[in-house]
Amino acid sequence: MIVEDEAGLRESIEAYFTGTDSICETAADYTAALAKVSVYRYDCVILDLTLPRGNGLDIIKHLKENEHNDGVLIISAKNSLDDRLTGLDLGADDYLTKPFHLSELKSRVAAIVRRKSFNGSNLLKFNEISIDLSAKSVMVSGQPVKFTRKEYSLLLYFIANKGKVVSKNAIAEHLWGDSIDIADNFDFIYSHIKNIRKKLVEAGARDYIQAAYGMGYKFTEA
Amino acid sequence: MKLLNKFNSINIAVTVATLLVTGIIYYYAISHILTNRIDKDLVLEENEVFNYVKLNHALPDVYESNHQQITFMPLGEQKIERRFVDTVYKELDEEDMEAGRALISSVMVKDKNYRILVIQSKVETEYLIKIIFEITICVIAVLLVLLTLLNRFILKSIWQPFYKVLAQLKGFSPADKTAVSSTPTTIDEFKELDQALVAMAGRVKNDYQNLKGFTENASHELMTPISVINSKLDTLLQTDEFTDRQSKLLNDIYGTVARLTRLNKSMLLLAKIENGLITGDEQMDIMEILEECLYQHEDIMQSKNITLVSNLHEKQVKASKLLVEVLLNNLISNAIRHNYAGGEITVNLQAQQLTITNTGSQAFDIEQVLKRFHKSNESEGIGLGLTICKQVCDNYGFRLNYHFINNKHVFSVGF
Repeated sequence: MIVEDEAGLRESIEAYFTGTDSICETAADYTAALAKVSVYRYDCVILDLTLPRGNGLDIIKHLKENEHNDGVLIISAKNSLDDRLTGLDLGADDYLTKPFHLSELKSRVAAIVRRKSFNGSNLLKFNEISIDLSAKSVMVSGQPVKFTRKEYSLLLYFIANKGKVVSKNAIAEHLWGDSIDIADNFDFIYSHIKNIRKKLVEAGARDYIQAAYGMGYKFTEA
Repeated sequence: MKLLNKFNSINIAVTVATLLVTGIIYYYAISHILTNRIDKDLVLEENEVFNYVKLNHALPDVYESNHQQITFMPLGEQKIERRFVDTVYKELDEEDMEAGRALISSVMVKDKNYRILVIQSKVETEYLIKIIFEITICVIAVLLVLLTLLNRFILKSIWQPFYKVLAQLKGFSPADKTAVSSTPTTIDEFKELDQALVAMAGRVKNDYQNLKGFTENASHELMTPISVINSKLDTLLQTDEFTDRQSKLLNDIYGTVARLTRLNKSMLLLAKIENGLITGDEQMDIMEILEECLYQHEDIMQSKNITLVSNLHEKQVKASKLLVEVLLNNLISNAIRHNYAGGEITVNLQAQQLTITNTGSQAFDIEQVLKRFHKSNESEGIGLGLTICKQVCDNYGFRLNYHFINNKHVFSVGF
């Protein structure tokens, strides 16, 4: 569920999440959000903290008081440490500061959902690729493939956003954070992606990663 | 020159001058009175001579008494005028000359004209004047000592509030949290000064707070529209096939939005550090954070062919992890940004300080660089990085220094 008062942002998130393999509901204010979380259960609630008619933190409190195990991802314009800590203390699973890339949001939500639906195995499977999330190792058709930290992180990111075009900017910010602005170009992203593709293909997997009109990449089954 | 010294020097000059003038007036008055008295004595002697001549028709015996001599000399046809003169007096049994006063007159004895010369010593007068002079000098000396002592005393006590106010004024910074405290004093001028200072400091701080609040709020409010643009762009990207031209445009928009975001984040961060809103100090090892930071920048350095030489040792500090990360990230980013392809970066972390050295072409003017939004020509940054570094260092009492040695930029943080 998406709880966000800013219509533009809410619609974008909804559009991005709907269609893949998830169902989205939205709430624009505190009362609507509270009404929904009281009745329905969600894998993950994307929650803005500053809402009309109430504070997002109270929704987390409500969930925890009723022992609902919904995942909560806070999205807030306030990058304040206090809010972040209070939110996480109350039981939120993650915190993302606005502005963010939808692909980043998707990968964070995917991580939360994975943790919530954790059923004995800690294995993420995608066709012939399986990823052990606790050991951070990748296997292709049962054969281990060595990935660097960045490559591993990027692969997870792609799988979370499969079927979507992920912009180079989003990738760069995901891997390098704010320090990316000193780079003249994103050539080194290309070399990372080339490595991932090479390693996957050499291990016998299909080549899932496609370049998309010079703007980004798409991880697709097709 | 201190006001008091200035005041004192004038005071002392006038006092000394007055005393000198008084001394001179004393000198002339007393010597005039004493000369008059001597002159009267001389006239008395002259009259005695006249009386003697009238009675005896002969000159009296030349005699000499204490400090007085009378001599006669035949004059012939010569006429002399009766007058008083200053002359010297020589005691018969003594060698040295003394100052003296003489009366020259004439007397007729048996149709013969004689000159009378009566001389009296002025030694006592001189003595008196000497004493007056000494007293004057003594008074001047005592006065000087007194004024100097008074100066010190006044500096220490009466001027104390003034110096306190001045010290507060010197140490005043609008970003400072502590309020300017009022200095108690009984002197009206200082009271007014103090009140003016407290009022002014209050106003300045208030204005500054408002400005900071405005910056923070403005940055905050901007975040929401930026996130909408960002999300719309991400959504647009999913819609359809794009031509090369469109992709180029979209890439540019992405880049600009990213830049806008960073700018806004930096402004928010700066406002927060200044407002002391970032709390949560914890014990941490700078080496670990630095290693992570260098790892983050590895690819960028490689893409620019920059060689990294690092020599790291453990260093524990108690600070906000977020701020230390920001500090290190900014310093490393700068070392990469203000470098050239094939350059070098040396990172050296010791217990005392961290130095980051990188090859570069031209020295910065550090005062300028620390100003907000200052950018060197080739820089594509937003010009807040070093300002933030400085703020973080100030927050934790670290010393941020910069040197340009052998065509290398050297930034050091002393713990």
